[in-house]
Amino acid sequence: MINFYGKVLPIFRKCMRISTIIVGIQMCFSTLLVAKATKGQEMNFKVVKASLKQVFKKIEQQANVTFVYDEQILNALPALTLNIKKQQLPALLNQLKGYTGLQFKLVGNYIGVAQNADVMPALSLGTAELGKPIKISGNVRDATGQPISGVSVLVKGTKNATSTNSNGQFVIEANLGDVLEFSYLGFNKKEVTISSPAALSVLLDEDSKLLSEVVVTALGVKKERKALGYSVTEVKGESLTQARDNNVMNSLVGKVAGLNVSSVAGGVGASSNVIIRGVSSISQTNQPLYVINGIPMESQPNSLKGNQYDNAPDLGDAIGNINPDDIETISVLKGAAASALYGYRGKAGVILITTKSGKGNSIEFNSNYVMEKVFDPTDWQYVYGQGANGIKPANQLAAFSSGQSSWGARLDGSSVIQFDGVARPYTAQSNNIDNFFRTGGTATNTLALNKSFDGGSIRFSASDLTNRAITPGSGLNRQSFNLNGNYNINTHLTIDARANYILEQAKNRPFVSDGAGNSSYNVTLLPTSVDVLTLKKGVNDDGSEYGYSGNTFATNPWFAANNFINNTKRERFLSSISLRYNFDNGAFIQGRAGRDGYTDRYTSVVPTGTAYRPLGSMSESTTKFSDLNTDVLLGKSFKVNDLTITPNIGGSFRKTQSEQTILNGTTFAVPYVYVITNATAQATPTYLPSNSEVLSIYGTLDLSYKSFLFLNGSIRNDWFSTLATPGKDNALNALYPSVNGSFVFSELMSKDWLSFGKLRAGFAQVGQATIPYQTQLAYNFNNATLNGRPLGLIANQAIPNDALVSSIASEFEIGTELRFFKDRLSLDLTWYNKNSKDEIVQAPTSVTSGYVGAILNIGQLRNRGLEALISGLPVKTDDFQWTTSLNGSINNNTVVALAEGQKSLPGATSRTGNGFTQMVVGLPASQIMALDYKRDDQGNILKDATGAPLQGDLKPYGSAYAKYVAGWNNEFKYKNFNFSFLIDGKFGGKIFSATDYYGYILGLHKATLENRDALGANAATYYTAVANNVSSVFVQNADFIKFRQVMLGYTFPGKMFNNVIQGATLSFVGRNLFYISKKTDNIDPESDYSPLTKGLELGGVPPSRTFGLNLSVKF
Amino acid sequence: MKKTSKYILILSVCLLISMGCRKNFEEINTDPSTYNPSNFDPNFVLSSAQLGYTGSMDFSYDTWRANLIHCSTMMQAFSSVIGYWNAGDKYVLNASYTAAYWGFSGSTPTAGDGAYPEQVRPIVDVVESTRSKPQYNNVQQVARITKALIFQRITDLYGDVPYFQAGQGFYNKAFFPVYDKQQDIYNDLLKEVSDAVGKLDPAGDKVTGDLFYGGDIAKWKRFGNTLLLRIAMRLSKIDPTTAQTYVQKAIGNTMTSNSDNAFVLGSEGGGRTTLNRNSQILLGDGGQENFYTRWSKTFIDKLKGSNDPRLGVVAVTKLYLDDKTKDQNPNLVYNAAVQKGMPNGKDLSVTPGLSITLDPSFTAFVDYSSPSPALIKRTGPTFILTYAESELLLADAAQRFGIAGSAAAHYHDGVVAAMTYLSQYDPIAGVSTQAAENYLTANPYDISKGLEQINTQYWILTSTMLDFYEAWANWRRTGFPVLTPVVYPGNSTGGTIPRRFPYPLVEAGSNTENYNKAHNSVPGGDLLTSRVWWDKQ
Repeated sequence: MINFYGKVLPIFRKCMRISTIIVGIQMCFSTLLVAKATKGQEMNFKVVKASLKQVFKKIEQQANVTFVYDEQILNALPALTLNIKKQQLPALLNQLKGYTGLQFKLVGNYIGVAQNADVMPALSLGTAELGKPIKISGNVRDATGQPISGVSVLVKGTKNATSTNSNGQFVIEANLGDVLEFSYLGFNKKEVTISSPAALSVLLDEDSKLLSEVVVTALGVKKERKALGYSVTEVKGESLTQARDNNVMNSLVGKVAGLNVSSVAGGVGASSNVIIRGVSSISQTNQPLYVINGIPMESQPNSLKGNQYDNAPDLGDAIGNINPDDIETISVLKGAAASALYGYRGKAGVILITTKSGKGNSIEFNSNYVMEKVFDPTDWQYVYGQGANGIKPANQLAAFSSGQSSWGARLDGSSVIQFDGVARPYTAQSNNIDNFFRTGGTATNTLALNKSFDGGSIRFSASDLTNRAITPGSGLNRQSFNLNGNYNINTHLTIDARANYILEQAKNRPFVSDGAGNSSYNVTLLPTSVDVLTLKKGVNDDGSEYGYSGNTFATNPWFAANNFINNTKRERFLSSISLRYNFDNGAFIQGRAGRDGYTDRYTSVVPTGTAYRPLGSMSESTTKFSDLNTDVLLGKSFKVNDLTITPNIGGSFRKTQSEQTILNGTTFAVPYVYVITNATAQATPTYLPSNSEVLSIYGTLDLSYKSFLFLNGSIRNDWFSTLATPGKDNALNALYPSVNGSFVFSELMSKDWLSFGKLRAGFAQVGQATIPYQTQLAYNFNNATLNGRPLGLIANQAIPNDALVSSIASEFEIGTELRFFKDRLSLDLTWYNKNSKDEIVQAPTSVTSGYVGAILNIGQLRNRGLEALISGLPVKTDDFQWTTSLNGSINNNTVVALAEGQKSLPGATSRTGNGFTQMVVGLPASQIMALDYKRDDQGNILKDATGAPLQGDLKPYGSAYAKYVAGWNNEFKYKNFNFSFLIDGKFGGKIFSATDYYGYILGLHKATLENRDALGANAATYYTAVANNVSSVFVQNADFIKFRQVMLGYTFPGKMFNNVIQGATLSFVGRNLFYISKKTDNIDPESDYSPLTKGLELGGVPPSRTFGLNLSVKF
Repeated sequence: MKKTSKYILILSVCLLISMGCRKNFEEINTDPSTYNPSNFDPNFVLSSAQLGYTGSMDFSYDTWRANLIHCSTMMQAFSSVIGYWNAGDKYVLNASYTAAYWGFSGSTPTAGDGAYPEQVRPIVDVVESTRSKPQYNNVQQVARITKALIFQRITDLYGDVPYFQAGQGFYNKAFFPVYDKQQDIYNDLLKEVSDAVGKLDPAGDKVTGDLFYGGDIAKWKRFGNTLLLRIAMRLSKIDPTTAQTYVQKAIGNTMTSNSDNAFVLGSEGGGRTTLNRNSQILLGDGGQENFYTRWSKTFIDKLKGSNDPRLGVVAVTKLYLDDKTKDQNPNLVYNAAVQKGMPNGKDLSVTPGLSITLDPSFTAFVDYSSPSPALIKRTGPTFILTYAESELLLADAAQRFGIAGSAAAHYHDGVVAAMTYLSQYDPIAGVSTQAAENYLTANPYDISKGLEQINTQYWILTSTMLDFYEAWANWRRTGFPVLTPVVYPGNSTGGTIPRRFPYPLVEAGSNTENYNKAHNSVPGGDLLTSRVWWDKQ
């Protein structure tokens, strides 16, 4: 489209860019200007070098007509010099057409102006007459076609205003030619001129700067932040993708006040531990509910449960599968008031994840490569070497039989025969961890295609993650494919469909906790004079384990890493569809269905030739899981004077099923062939089904008065199949109410220094039901038979309870949000008090009861705390900007009560057998319990005949959970450079170090140097007695401050590439770089081996740091 | 208004659907892969309890640590130079090994390893689920007797233990059982066994789950009386009156021949769950026990000294040619003359006095005697209670209390049975009656050393049965045979043979209050050296 000035018309350029999301006319005439005049008379005027706009004004003044046009058309045209004398309108228009190349069209008193007929404003006056108000209706949508409710619609220059209903629809009285102003927080303001009485369809663009003013709340409803009576924190997807973690939740550490995220020392693909506002459940999951695009998703960590003999890999959780590149925003609903609409699933908080939708037409490419290096947390003694009784091994047999023990003689560099019969200098080998673990690496590549079209948009992304873990032989591959589409079938009906296919394969997930088959454990505890490289051979010539110890369970770490098999494969398909019908009267009905389904395969092999199981064994486990969630919601807004009332009602149905089959076999007929049919002794297959349903109904009522007072209430009732017992007619339901309000006081005052001020308060109850099959005693069979005879078993691990009720947590929160000095400084403060009761607890019982535990409804927990977020923009110039934010929380957790008369409740047990976690009445949850010294009345330590301290009482030494969690984030922008770093810390938590225990037992710990020569042959017995009798010496302070993340990026502007690409950003990234301070001596303070056994560590993969590059390109 | 009613209609439909759906909640919450008490035969569970008594389904967890590592070596029947056997061989406390027999909770199908999960849990369930059910009368009585069998061993090892509330988590909601006094436990065991034996009915229900006798009620009556005898005799030091009262009840009703012996045969099909417990370990399935664990010098010397015909049957040399192989040598040596026991208290170091290789007895490892292959078959029997034990206990009662007839006669029958029963391991392990008689002729019963002779024979018998738990208990009761303790550096007992296992620390964490009470009230402290109630100083 070239005009006669030889230039591309600007309007054409604009249309090209914005494409055709909505009917072109609204887009192109976004700033239609209309002027009024009298028509039908001869005109006389003279202009010199006037703009066309000035010319139009002259005509309008004299001819009683109105020009309707896009101002942009006019801007590019050169000035005109005209001398008009007694000219009629049509002739004048013809003349103008000649000068400008523009088309003119006269309809009634209006003259449409455009470059060509196609984009001519649709001027249709109908029966309307100028000057008389008409009813203008229309709807407002966002870029993805979703209606936006609550948009303020104002006739410009008047006080006539309304707002859109929950379907984004509005009706307002206005005159043709009036300008309507649409405004909504988080979106750019838009003005539309009324050029006809026809319904308007208005599209608002998101204002990326202000987007945080609109947050996604329960059930996926977007609300203005100011209307909320509770705290919600949003995290942008892009902050998770550059410096990334293989489990996306680990990237949230230090970023959200009130969120305590810890990783697990389980190697690649391991679970993440996410606690919001403290531990609110005694033994059920404390992990939040994840809701992806409105569909809830289970994410139970498949981790070890804290039995003394835990010895298996962490198999990961469900949330860790999600590709961070697909995440648009993460919204953390911390308190009950926010999560009340999730009823029985809202107790531990809710994390809402919105994935990206197609926006515009673009191709995005992100490539990330990071290297991973182990860092050795140990600080063992290197004074004495391998051996026993203070003596260095004299021959191969002695070396072999003293195995893991560092109770030998002083390292003197003399030649000593080792386990393999080779004599080597008797010297310190302090680099075993560095020498064993390799440099790991993770490459992630994501390609996304976005396409918007008339009435909808579509996005497809494909991602590949290839990881080489630091543990030799271990790694992870993940491919994910995401397809999202939304489409407005007609003005009433909208459809949104999403599908996410994930294929994840983990190779050789490392064992954690106990030592058998655990490479991390064995390399960490190798004797001080044994070089791990001398074990590297791994296998003997006959294929059996190349052992170094008479203790067959002290597996050669190379053999554990290279010959054991612990592979998992997950195929997962997440799909959802949502249909919404908007009635003309503002009511809507919405139906959604979502299904999360996956098949897991876990193959574990103890290989042929393993010292502790020479004939080998294997297990093939297949789990099929599906979770179907459907819901329906209907609602409508009413407006009474300044009060807007929005009621919604809805219901949902959930069906969760899983089925696990396990094939176990031992003794391979053909050695080294690891297929289950090759096992000569095969157990009867184990079959573990699980099935549960929940039905729910709920209603909400939102009231808003003007734009500063908001009150929201909701109520939900859930019915659970998991509480049902045949023959028993108990109540299967629970009711969850909530109410919250917000008062934006800054709307009532105008102070320069205060840009925004709000007070909020909320109260709600949420709960937690339970897993199936816990109400009845049941039997089944052992998977082995004795000479054909079946072996009957009690199927229940825990004592069933047929009187269960759902647990309830009540939470009150109050908070404020303040922004000062034009938003340069902001403060968000929340105080909460959350009380949980009727906990459904699988309470560990004494083994002498015959059961692992009992299913009980007991206990009360309280979490009281304060969350704060202070952010500021200390420096802001055109080129340079520094943003800093500090978030922190204090959580005071207390176990208020257990069963009547009960003072403590057992939790997990360390491998050492003398370190535990317990719930203790009056103390914070998950107390680390260990044995004290035994003292006489004067407080003197009592000792036995050998001088070793006697075993005292088991006492609590502090909670496994940190009381204070904080993060400090800084971001600097200079021109196209940006630099950011994150420092985080946790304080007030404890960890029981089983590694240190074994350091005592095996003579590795520096503390065992004391008096060692004097003790001589008795040293091992003495320190073993200390370790066993006084385990409190292994309770460590888990406080730390960590330099968590750093990023340096440069953005290449699109013009550098002739706009072939729109932009590219290259960043150097680093994560988990170093501790600024820590208190543990031989372990990482963040080395819990399972999220279910917080506070216990042993045999985990040592900590590592990652650094690398991230490139993101947008075409 | 019309529209409002439309919404109400939609809501009502939703509600109705939801009510309908909730009807099947009970069915949904019933695990289809399990059975319920009304359709599950308690006999199935009885089998598990009896198998559990032979040792843990989970790779002989308790048998390995308690019976073999501890009892066999403390009783100097076996000796071992494997480092982790120091716990028993050299009295170096290993708290997790002494805790092993008690057991711990775990997510295994049996809900844990060891006696409480694998024996007490199922047996209490059988007793409780068959109570007041005439159709299961015999199952009930067999279960009560089996329960007494199980608890006698637990209390003998630890002393005061949870008994009355044990295993009652479901039936009595006893989540944290109290520790009962051993005296109370023994009194109840005596009462339970005598009552159950009386209620066994040969015309009643068939005990299909019985692994000991295939449900033979007559044999169960004799088993019950022999067990009563054994329980009663354990009180000979502490409470001779009660002991005699119950021995009197048993006299005349005890086992009558080796065909009354109770044993459970291992089975290959179920893998480690069903293989013979002792055999798995002694064949080296989990380590090098096959090579480095041998008959003790004390044991072999005792057999040699009396020219015992069992020597050439239970002991062999050159069974394994080196510590690398687990294949048995076909040219192993049965010759009694060359059998040689390995001394206890030795290790693989080069320290004089401790090193086995520097011991005067050392020639080569292959020259020390191993248990013969017949005794350690994977499908071999685990003996529960034998006629020979019965007769030797009667001999003890006769000698000690002057009841139960002639001590010499019972001694004679006991020794013959203790030799001839070996054929139940394998025909090649059999000792003929004639050989036994010859032995008795050469080593006649001497009333002046009666108790020593009887209980030394009991020690040899229970050692060949590989029931070292019983060997230890009887040694503590009688003091015979007189054993010389080993003195190893860093031992935990001051060089004395342990007399009890300390309480498991897992109980400190999971049953804190009751543990503390029990732990603090063991006379002399909760140690290896303190004594259980009946083990009067």
